[in-house]
Amino acid sequence: MKRILGLAFSLVILTTLIAFVQAPDTVGYKCMIQLTNYEGEGAYVVVSVVDKEDKYVETLYVQGDDEEWYRDLTAWWKNLYGVKRPTLDGIVGETVTGGQRKMTVLQIPSDKIDTGFKLRFESAVEDHEYYKDDVEFDLTTENLATKKEGKGYIRYVRMIKQ
Amino acid sequence: MTISIWRYSHLVLALSSGLFLILASVTGIVLAFEPMQTATNGYNPVPLNEVRLSETIAALQQEYDEVLSFKVDQDDYILANVVTKEGDNKALYVHPKTAKVLGVPEPQHPIFSFTTNLHRSLFLKSVGRFFVGLVSFLLCLIAVTGLLLIIKRQGGLLKFFNKVQPDYFELRYHVVLGRWFLLPIILIAATGVYLSAEKFSLLPSTRVTHKIMEPEDHVDENIQASDLAIFKEITMDQVRLVTFPFSPFPEDYFELALQNRELYVHQYTGAILSEQPYPFTYLASRLSLTLHTGQGSVLWSLILLLASSSILFFIYSGFVMWRKRVKNSVGKSKFSEDESSHILLYGSETGNTNGFVLALQKGLIKAGKRVFVAPLNSYTTYKKATDIFILTSTYGEGEAPTNANKFLDKLETVVQPNQLNYSVIGFGSLSYPLYCQFAIDVAQNLRKQDNFKETLPLVKINNQAKETFLDWIEKYNQRTGERLRVEAYLPKSNFLKPKKFEVIFKTEVNVDQTFLLQLKPRKKIKFQSGDLLAYRPKEDQAPRLYSIAKYNGTLLLSIKIHEHGICSRYFSTLETGNKITANIQKNTHFHFPKKATSVTCIANGTGLAPFLGLIAENKKRIPLDLFWGGRTKASYQIYEPFLSTHLESKQLQQVHLAYSQEGTKQYIQQLLELHSKEIAEKLHNGGAIMICGSLAMHKQVLEVLDQATLTYINQPLRIFEEKGQILSDCY
Repeated sequence: MKRILGLAFSLVILTTLIAFVQAPDTVGYKCMIQLTNYEGEGAYVVVSVVDKEDKYVETLYVQGDDEEWYRDLTAWWKNLYGVKRPTLDGIVGETVTGGQRKMTVLQIPSDKIDTGFKLRFESAVEDHEYYKDDVEFDLTTENLATKKEGKGYIRYVRMIKQ
Repeated sequence: MTISIWRYSHLVLALSSGLFLILASVTGIVLAFEPMQTATNGYNPVPLNEVRLSETIAALQQEYDEVLSFKVDQDDYILANVVTKEGDNKALYVHPKTAKVLGVPEPQHPIFSFTTNLHRSLFLKSVGRFFVGLVSFLLCLIAVTGLLLIIKRQGGLLKFFNKVQPDYFELRYHVVLGRWFLLPIILIAATGVYLSAEKFSLLPSTRVTHKIMEPEDHVDENIQASDLAIFKEITMDQVRLVTFPFSPFPEDYFELALQNRELYVHQYTGAILSEQPYPFTYLASRLSLTLHTGQGSVLWSLILLLASSSILFFIYSGFVMWRKRVKNSVGKSKFSEDESSHILLYGSETGNTNGFVLALQKGLIKAGKRVFVAPLNSYTTYKKATDIFILTSTYGEGEAPTNANKFLDKLETVVQPNQLNYSVIGFGSLSYPLYCQFAIDVAQNLRKQDNFKETLPLVKINNQAKETFLDWIEKYNQRTGERLRVEAYLPKSNFLKPKKFEVIFKTEVNVDQTFLLQLKPRKKIKFQSGDLLAYRPKEDQAPRLYSIAKYNGTLLLSIKIHEHGICSRYFSTLETGNKITANIQKNTHFHFPKKATSVTCIANGTGLAPFLGLIAENKKRIPLDLFWGGRTKASYQIYEPFLSTHLESKQLQQVHLAYSQEGTKQYIQQLLELHSKEIAEKLHNGGAIMICGSLAMHKQVLEVLDQATLTYINQPLRIFEEKGQILSDCY
C-alpha cells in the first residue's frame, strides 16, 4: 500500500515538473497591420486565437493602451477580457491612425497551428463601427505566409516567421 | 444696479462653469507633475543634433536581432521596439549612439492615468470630452472678458502693469494675479478647445496621404541601411518615428516621420518613394498638445502648474467678490422718488462703496426721513426732495463708473422743482493720481447749478476709511442740527479688536504745542512704521488716526495739541505708566519701499513721526534723505535724538531743514526747489518719495515735484505716481 502511495506521489510530482518545464512552445511571427485611410481616432485592434466554436483561447496582442475603450471590442470584452481580466503584460502597444501601419511580434503557440484553430483580428474606433472579424483566417502555416485583406479598418495583415 | 456687460458676462460665465473649472484645475495641477517626472529620467545622454540617423540605425541593427521601429519623444528619449538576441520582443529606451539599454518604459502611474481620464472626459467618454471642451471654451471667454476688465480698470493697455488700486485682499489679488496668469490661462484654455474640437472632427483633417512609387526591385541587396546617404544627412533631432522595412524584400521600405514631413525611403537604394509635408493643422495640433500638457519642458509645466493653481484662487476670490457685491447691493427704496425728502445717488463700478450708501440710507431712515436710493444714472426730478447726497467712486482714468456715466449730461437737462441741499462724497485712493476725480467733477458741476445749495464741501474718502466718513457725518450733524447715527450700519470687518498700550515716555510740550508719546503694547502685536493708531475718545465717536513709528518695538507718536482737540488734549495729560486702549490699522501703502533704489522722505510738522521708525528699516543703506519743514529750530529739537541714531548708522544720509519763522524763513517746498534736479534724477533711477504731513503741504510739494520732473527729465510726475514711486500719507 505504502509503495503504491509513494509511486502515485512521485508521479504527481513528475507530471507537475513536466508541465512546468514544458511551457507551451511558441513560434515568433513578425506581424504588420496596415490600416485603411479611415477618418477618426486611432483604431483599437485585438489579435486572438479562437477555436472552432469561436471560443477565445488566447490573446496575442492588443493595440491600444487605454482600458476605457476595451469595452468597444465587444466580442472580446464579453467573452474574455470583461469576464476574466487576463494580464496583458508585454502585449499592449499604442494605437495608430488611418493610413498608418503597426509592426509587432506575435508569439503563436505552436500546438495551435495546423490544429483547427483560427486567428482573429477584431477592431473598433471611438464612436465608429466595430468589426468582430476584420481579419480572420484558419491558423495554418500556409495562411501565415500570405497577405490577408481586412474588411474594416485593417487594409491587410502580413506575417513572417522569425 | 447697472454693471457693465463685460463684468456681467465674466460673472455669469464663471458661475456657470465654476464647478467644472475647479475639477479641471485640480486635475490639471496633478497632471503638471507628469512631464516633470518623466524629464527626470534622463535617457538623453547626448544632444540629438549631434547624432546622425545612420549612426542610430547601425547601432540598433548591431545590438539587436531585429528592429521594428523607434520613436523620439518630447524629452528626446529614444524608445525602440526591438527583438533582442534572446528572441524577446521588447520596447526599450536606448542610447542614440550605442543603442545600449538605458531603461524600460514604465506604464503610466495609476494616479496620472486616472487623473488624465477625469481631466479629459470625466469618465464619460465622448460626452465628457464634449463637456470639457465646452468648459475650456467658457474659460477662454472668462479670461478674455477678465483681460478687458483689467485693461479698463487700469486705465488703458499701456498702464496694464501699473500699480493696482489698494482694496480688500481678494479683489486686489484677483487683479494682480490676473495680469500675470491671464495669458497662460488663455493658452491653456484655447489649446484645450483646439484639442477637443479636433476629437470631434470639427477641424480640417490632419491626415497625410502618401502616393507611393513602385520600389525598384533589381537592386543590390547587400547594401546596409546605415550606409545610405539620406540617413547620414538627417540628424536625430529631426526624427520623430522610424518604422523599419517589414521584410528584406525590396518592395518593403523605411517609413520616416520627421518634425515637418513624412518620407518613405527605399531600403537598398535610399531613393525617396514618397514625401509629404505635414499640413498646418497637424503642426497646430501637435503644438496645442505640447502647450497644453507641458510635455518635454519642465519650465513650461511649472508655469502650467502655477496657472492651474491660480484658477483655483480666481474662483475663490471671484466668489468672495460676488458675495460681497450681492451683500452690499442696495435694496429697494420704500418710498418713490417723488415721495422722498432725502435722495441718495451712488456711482460705483465694483459695488465697494455700497456699504456706505447702505449705512447712510439706514441712518437717514432711522432719523425718520423718507429716503430714496438709486444709481446716479437714474437722476431725474424729485418733487418733494429737500436734500440730495451723492456718493461716488472714480473708475479708470478719472472717469465715471458705468452706472454714473450719464449723470453729468442729465444734470444739465433735468430741472428740479425745488431747491436741493447737496453733499458729495468721493471714494478713491490717494495712491492714484486722479484721486476722486469724478466726485470733483460732480461737485464742480453742481456748484454751477442755480437750484443747488452746498451743505458741506466735497469730502474725499481714501481707501474706504470709515473714520473719514464718520467724521463727515459729525460735521453734517453740526451743520444741519440732525442727529444721524450710521456707525452701527457700517460693515464691521475693518474695526479691529482694541488693544491695550502703556505709556512709557512722553516729552515736554514744545513751542509748537507738540510732544512725542511713546507707547508699549501690553501684548505682542504686529505693526510697522507707517501704520496708524486709531483712538476713539468715546465709543460712539469717529476714531482719530495717528501715523506711528516703530521704535525698538514700541510705538512713537508725534502729537500737536489743538485748542478743541479732545484727543490731543487728553494725550497731553497722560503720564508714564498710564494705560490706553486703541487699535492699530494697517496702512500698507505707506510702508518702507523695499524695491526702491533711494528714498526721499518729505514731512512737515508732526508728519515726521513715521519716519523716525521707517528709516530704521533701511537695512541695505540705500541713499535716504529727509526734508522737514517746521516753524523754528526749537520745533526740531524733540525729534533730533531719534534721528541722530539713524545718521550714525548711515541709514539716513542727510537731513534738510526748512524753518518758516526763523533764519531764511523758508517753507519746505522752497527748500525742495533747491534740490529739485537731484530729486528728479533719483525718481528717474527708480527712487521712491514718501510724503507725510498736512494736505496743504502735500499739494504744494506735488506741484514742486511735477515741475522738477518736467524740467529735468521731461516727464510729468504722473508717470511716477502710476508706478507707485510716490507714497503719501497726509491729513
